[in-house]
Amino acid sequence: MDVSSTGIQEPFDLIRLSLSERVFVKLRGDREMTGILHAYDGHMNLILSDVEETIMIVSEGEQQATVNVAKRKMDMLFVRGDGVILVSPPSRT
Amino acid sequence: MLIFSVFKTLTDQQVTVELKNDLSITGVLKSVDQFLNIRLDNITVLDETRHPHMMAVKNCFIRGSVVRYVQLPAEHVDTQLLEDATRREAQTQTKR
Amino acid sequence: MSSLQGYVDRRVLLILQDGRAIVGVMAGFDQKSNVVLSDSKERVYSMEEGVEEIPLGLYLVKGDMIILIGELDETLDQAVDLSSIRAEPLPPIRY
Repeated sequence: MDVSSTGIQEPFDLIRLSLSERVFVKLRGDREMTGILHAYDGHMNLILSDVEETIMIVSEGEQQATVNVAKRKMDMLFVRGDGVILVSPPSRT
Repeated sequence: MLIFSVFKTLTDQQVTVELKNDLSITGVLKSVDQFLNIRLDNITVLDETRHPHMMAVKNCFIRGSVVRYVQLPAEHVDTQLLEDATRREAQTQTKR
Repeated sequence: MSSLQGYVDRRVLLILQDGRAIVGVMAGFDQKSNVVLSDSKERVYSMEEGVEEIPLGLYLVKGDMIILIGELDETLDQAVDLSSIRAEPLPPIRY
């Protein structure tokens, strides 16, 4: 892909271009969320709005492990960067 | 620095801080420092029957590094301003 | 970190990285937020019995270990019957 057409030269450019768009964030502790990105910094601290968080709760059973999923919504959320594994821009289809 | 400034604009607003030990504490944001250590006044702990440990605590100081999330009052966050400030800070970072 | 000044000579609750809860009077602190407590006690929570208070006396807690410092409302704290409280200990911090 041509660098000049996307404006993406380094990883943080990808996040910058996702400002005011819905992003997917994967976090430590089997957590994921989507939300509209409003701010970030070099630590990957984030501020998101209209957040839906998904927590995967794995419980080891006798035979197999079962995964329970808990979801919750939050209006406006600060996410501390040390918990962030990846930030993915909205799918452009 | 940007996030620190955002928190400073939210002093005296009610926030909910969720820690990395799953404790959630709601209170009035009294101050924040560059490490994002947070001081809350007039606190209540979510699910106090399960977590009675802080029953008699009125205000507290939370170490920034143990914060997972902070739920902010959306009506006091200017998202357009945030995005502009973020773009500006991103630019100064790369120009270095 | 200067904001710890307001807690000096106050009865405080410290919550540590490993989930322990320690109460005492804050005698002092330093820049690394190391804290000295006087007349301190650890409060051990369990579901089987009431809260057990283990006297620790004069205690120095390393700043890195402290995740939360809370000012105790002394009248409220004394009104609580610790022997009637059943609760799991707080979980440790998981990064």
